[in-house]
Amino acid sequence: MTEFKLNGKIVRFEGNPLTRLIDVIREDLGLTGTKEGCGEGECGACSVLRNGKLTTSCIIPVGAVAGDEIVTIEGLRDTEQGKCLIDAFAEGGAVQCGFCIPGMVMAAQALLLENSDPDEEDVRMAISGNICRCTGYDLIVDSILLAAKKGKGLW
Amino acid sequence: MVERCFVPSSLREALEIRKEYGAHPLAGGSDLMVQYKAGLGITPDFPFPVMIITKLEELKGISRKEDGSIEIMALSTPSEIAACPFMPFHVKSAASRMGAIALRNSATIGGNIGNASPKGDLPQPLILLDALVVLTSADGERTVLLDDFIRGSKKTDLRDDEIITKIIIPPVEYTYAYYRKIGTRKANAISKLSLSALIKIDDGLVSDFRAASGAAGPKVIRSRESEEILKGHRIDEIEPLIPAFLESWNNAISPHAMPEYRRNTTKRMLEHFITEALAMPECEIID
Ligand SMILES: Cc1cc2nc3c(=O)[nH]c(=O)nc-3n(C[C@H](O)[C@H](O)[C@H](O)COP(=O)(O)OP(=O)(O)OC[C@H]3O[C@@H](n4cnc5c(N)ncnc54)[C@H](O)[C@@H]3O)c2cc1C
Ligand code: FES
Ligand code: FES
Repeated sequence: MTEFKLNGKIVRFEGNPLTRLIDVIREDLGLTGTKEGCGEGECGACSVLRNGKLTTSCIIPVGAVAGDEIVTIEGLRDTEQGKCLIDAFAEGGAVQCGFCIPGMVMAAQALLLENSDPDEEDVRMAISGNICRCTGYDLIVDSILLAAKKGKGLW
Repeated sequence: MVERCFVPSSLREALEIRKEYGAHPLAGGSDLMVQYKAGLGITPDFPFPVMIITKLEELKGISRKEDGSIEIMALSTPSEIAACPFMPFHVKSAASRMGAIALRNSATIGGNIGNASPKGDLPQPLILLDALVVLTSADGERTVLLDDFIRGSKKTDLRDDEIITKIIIPPVEYTYAYYRKIGTRKANAISKLSLSALIKIDDGLVSDFRAASGAAGPKVIRSRESEEILKGHRIDEIEPLIPAFLESWNNAISPHAMPEYRRNTTKRMLEHFITEALAMPECEIID
């Protein structure tokens, strides 16, 4: 059995410890905000926070996160920080099809947890593992900078 | 076929499982989970028993010993290695350029070495620094030079009952250092070519010179014989020796290991580093 914390609640998973974390999140727990794009660690759509650090949940088995604290977009969404980020993405026009957005928001959150006053270069670096097929990134970068500015003091 | 999966809770237990079932360690999983991927939404299908060692505290941490050597435990991630204040320049540089942030948070040094891919970024600087790898089994421990441990592309000298437990970097001194990774521009880009080099100059004399190139052949290329050509000479004697050094270095690479253009790029980078170093600039890192 694998026990870990997901969005603040203890989760016990009885299945194969090699089950991918993303499948436990999406299939077993029904949290479908975390997306699967490539399934190979290349696109960042499946990004979650693991003990505050960005992780791609498609290439990590659930047995490897035993005892860890995982946060998905559902866990972040209703916090002050999460709201600030999501509002900024909307205000900045960063969302088109939306598929990459949960991963982008998690990457932005991981950045702001470490550096609450990032510059453009820091932001580009922080989302460099997240692929967006629609926007060309500039609006996403601007939105993250906007969140950092508007949410001063939140991180 | 669904093979067994173990989740040992101590290193001792892991070593027993390794000995009894030959289970392959899964550390960060970033190579294994992709290599044995079965499709979106599906658990990977491993043709061998696996043990998840990710949580073994005994295999975590980075420390500096009294003699100045650095011990990196096998589960250390590129993020931890890149952030370590006493990590030697070449290793820090390689670690900080691996994958993108999420990958750097979950990949491990033990997995990078265990996978022994010619594209792996950490063996190259580690071999430059004469790093040693410590292999532990239920019956004991042995320490071998990493350059000997990695035998070729995806081939190591790991025995069926062993686990990589740590990497030791002996103390190193240099006057000038160089590191380059050439990949595609995007993050998560796999190396096409990488080169590390260092030179130590004592009272105008080249007392140490080393170079290691990665991603080009089946394994990291280091030619100690070629390095000897430059060692022990005064810096004002080095320039005329460069062509002989480059030729020797070129000959050390097996004919099919590296396409011509990569050879030429590597030679140009080496020549650039040596020439810049001979000018004795102020800063110790040469770009
Ligand atoms: C998107 C993406 C980008 C990548 N970018 C890079 C890059 O830029 N540079 C790079 O070098 N690599 C890169 N990789 C490859 C991979 O992340 C690295 O090789 C990583 O270091 C593997 O470590 P791991 O712990 O995740 O390996 P795992 O998958 O856990 O293991 C890899 C192999 O090593 C063995 N092993 C693991 N730990 C031990 C141990 N302690 N003792 C003995 N054997 C062990 C395993 O049995 C397996 O055979 C990338 C991978 C992905 C998915
Ligand atoms: S789905 Fe995990 S990184 Fe693409
Ligand atoms: S908005 Fe469509 S992939 Fe980013």
